Amino acid sequence: MNRTSFHVLRVGLAITFLWIGILILKNPGAWGGFIAPWAMKLMPAPVEQMMVATAWLDIIIGALLLFDVLVWLGAILAAGHLVMVLVVSGINDVTVRDIAILAGSLALFAESIPAFIRDKFVPPRIKI
Amino acid sequence: MTALALIFTLSAIGISETMYLIRKRVALEQPLCPIGKDCAVVLSSRYSKIFLIPNDLLGLFAYIILSIISAFLVVEVGPQGFWKVFLIIMIIAMSLVSFFFTYLQWRVIRAWCFWCLMSASTIWLMLVILLVSKNI
Repeated sequence: MNRTSFHVLRVGLAITFLWIGILILKNPGAWGGFIAPWAMKLMPAPVEQMMVATAWLDIIIGALLLFDVLVWLGAILAAGHLVMVLVVSGINDVTVRDIAILAGSLALFAESIPAFIRDKFVPPRIKI
Repeated sequence: MTALALIFTLSAIGISETMYLIRKRVALEQPLCPIGKDCAVVLSSRYSKIFLIPNDLLGLFAYIILSIISAFLVVEVGPQGFWKVFLIIMIIAMSLVSFFFTYLQWRVIRAWCFWCLMSASTIWLMLVILLVSKNI
């Protein structure tokens, strides 16, 4: 990925996560309405508390991406978080947006993955 | 709410921009200059610091405060009236400082810096949003 594209994607995703985090903090109960009933039963804490925790996770992810610090960690947390959102909220009108954000997060992770992690999972290329 | 969303977005862009300049300065590298080639002239001039504090650091600090205040206003934390006045004063002050720095580039340094102009445009856009929005 071109460095400019990488930074545009990084800042764009950062703003998305920060703003979503702020909106959830504004009204955590309403955002809890997106959670499917079966997932609600599995929650270890009241839905409002879970949503506030989610909001702070979003803000932390956004800050990591915006400040260009541990971008790989922010990106993998973002991707994991998005997978969780897709699982617990089911298919609805905004699913398509979640898929786009998930794809962007994975692209960012692939570009920023540090060598010590990459070397563990990707075998070195064989020189011919 | 829309105005706050836009101000928050612009502040975040400002944060990423100033972080880039700070990283380049700390690494003793020259920043990319997508338009023109005078960025280094401006960024290394005697006007790049105010009271020994680099302008990029001051900018980062200001953008962080702006984004936090916007967030406080959205989430409705603390004294709303105070935050609104503080936000307006900050944006007006930052706009005036940006006018001054743009004047310095134009008349004194006689060189243009892409990142400085981008930062100034970001702040002026916030001022425009503030002026056209009926309710923050």
